[in-house]
Amino acid sequence: MSTALATRIAAEYAAAAAKLPARVVSAVRRELAVKTLCAQGLPATRDENWKYANLRALERVRFAPQSAQPAEAAPETPVSAAALPAPIEGYARQTFIDGVFAPQLSSAAHHEAAESAPQGERGRSSDARFALLNDAFANDAARLRIAAGAERASCVEVLFVARSEAASAASYPRLDVKVSAGACLNLIERHVSVASDANFVNAAVEIDVASGARMTHFRVQELGARATWIDTLSATVGADGSYQQHLVHLGALSARSTVHVRLAGERSAARLHALAAAAAHQTHDAYALIEHAAPHTVSEQVFRGIAAGRARVGFNGKVSVCAGAPGADSRQSLRGLLAGPEAEIDVRPQLEIHTDDVRCSHGATAGKLDEAVLFYLLSRGLDPDTAQQLLKWAFLADVVAKIDIPDLKRSIERALAGRIDVAADLKELL
Amino acid sequence: MSALLQIDNLKVAVGAKPVLNGVTLAVRLGEVHAIMGPNGSGKSTLAHVLAGRPGYTLTAGSVTFEGRDLLGLAPEERARAGVFLGFQYPVEIPGVNNVYLLKAAFNAVRKHRGLPEVDAFEFLGLVREKMKFMRMDESFLGRAVNEGFSGGEKKRNEILQMLILEPKLAILDETDSGLDIDALKIVAQGVNSLRGPERSIVLVTHYQRMLDYIVPDYVHVLVNGRIAKSGDRTLALELERRGYEWVSEEAA
Repeated sequence: MSTALATRIAAEYAAAAAKLPARVVSAVRRELAVKTLCAQGLPATRDENWKYANLRALERVRFAPQSAQPAEAAPETPVSAAALPAPIEGYARQTFIDGVFAPQLSSAAHHEAAESAPQGERGRSSDARFALLNDAFANDAARLRIAAGAERASCVEVLFVARSEAASAASYPRLDVKVSAGACLNLIERHVSVASDANFVNAAVEIDVASGARMTHFRVQELGARATWIDTLSATVGADGSYQQHLVHLGALSARSTVHVRLAGERSAARLHALAAAAAHQTHDAYALIEHAAPHTVSEQVFRGIAAGRARVGFNGKVSVCAGAPGADSRQSLRGLLAGPEAEIDVRPQLEIHTDDVRCSHGATAGKLDEAVLFYLLSRGLDPDTAQQLLKWAFLADVVAKIDIPDLKRSIERALAGRIDVAADLKELL
Repeated sequence: MSALLQIDNLKVAVGAKPVLNGVTLAVRLGEVHAIMGPNGSGKSTLAHVLAGRPGYTLTAGSVTFEGRDLLGLAPEERARAGVFLGFQYPVEIPGVNNVYLLKAAFNAVRKHRGLPEVDAFEFLGLVREKMKFMRMDESFLGRAVNEGFSGGEKKRNEILQMLILEPKLAILDETDSGLDIDALKIVAQGVNSLRGPERSIVLVTHYQRMLDYIVPDYVHVLVNGRIAKSGDRTLALELERRGYEWVSEEAA
């Protein structure tokens, strides 16, 4: 990180500090975050795990969120419910505008608990430095506490709406989830843009799935065409617990997710099903680390990415099995599809194993549509356009089919159709 | 009567390597032709060139289908005009449902012929009937195209597609390879059910075994990219007895 950027972050923080609520992050923790950031710097594209991320936009960002700037700095555009995605049946909605809870656009109450103990030092890796930026400037947080004993799973949708233009203010979605022992949560986390399509969004998500608890997490990023999205998620899963994440990258000019799941308890399981559909000049990049830290833990990473136009798609999936995690079972299937002559795909599987007793299978491929398969479809009378679209849908089918909320799935399919130039009704052919 | 398929002095290369060196063949409506020959003689190339597979260079000759220039048509146009290639190695297409591919193909052909699309219910009835005929399991309906199919199942699936699409010209590339005798009989029964005055069949095969069940009107031997000898089905029996070498020698 350039010195100029560090100085600017520190100065902006100093100016905004008085307006940043301590109930979200204490002043002490905020100051520590700024200090650490200035010392370590933000990741840069020369860092191995960040070479596909597009970080140039940072130079033009005003880091303080709008709520922490002088009131006259920029007029707020009201957000109407009609501008937001349709509600998902059965899911209570909490809406946050530029990071701040918006009760009039929510069907569920905001849980204003005291600041949770920072997982920070323990749970966050060095790739989580953008989470420090969120610590420093976060102006509100979605806190979900799922108590044990409920008969049915809790179903919650958290909708993060980015409204400010990056040059005038940043948006800091913050999500803090604890699923108590034996409890069950289905969470939809969506990121959309209103008013401006050139937002700077820096999200930080912390998840704690206690022993025997289950969480399914649907994450859909569909920001505006010029937005920058940086996301840092860390999750810990206790014994016999399971955490499943469906990560869908559709929007933004540049999007980067850093996901770190730690399987801390025996027999815990983590599944990550990620999908990226990038077109035009978009960059979708993700780094996912699943850490097997206890015996008999199970993990799965499935990635399907399509790059059309001049887009770049990167997925770096790492599985690490600690010495204390015998009996680990890990499966990885990473595939990229080049759908444009100037598109770029990079999928990288990484395995780091420190015990003999493991079962790991992994596969990674990147390439164009198979000519032999295309010819087969043409030889049956399908026109080339239909055949190509059909094969693109089929390529994504593995991951899309697992999104088992019909309303959400339909909305993702519609969005996908627009992005990768396929007709939505063609999925009927799958 | 003019031929349905007329191949004249067809010369084709793969890269710089000539593979077909002047094939001439006329197939009239209602006829069944078998094209035999040793490995590498150009049999499969001929089948693929007729279906329009990319990667071949036409260096001389012509092919007409119903009097039209076949080689000028895109693969999908050939299919809609009534040319069907049964693949030696049918590809697996994970994620694409079998029955929907059949329906898309069926409706593409119907659209080309100016017929209305068939609704899903009616189409499923047709597929079930043909599947029963090919002794295929109902579970096949929900599976992805050829995914996890055995060699025999893939070949049966090719014939099923042919029965549904009802082509004017069926070119079956080594459909008998990898089939046990029971599967071969079922496949032959499928092919024979389509035999009739309104269509022609070209069987590409290495062995005469299949010709016991699908009796051809003509047998041609392809050697070094040329038809070296033609005859009736007794030629196939002679090849079975004597091998291919004598034909090569005769041709030389």
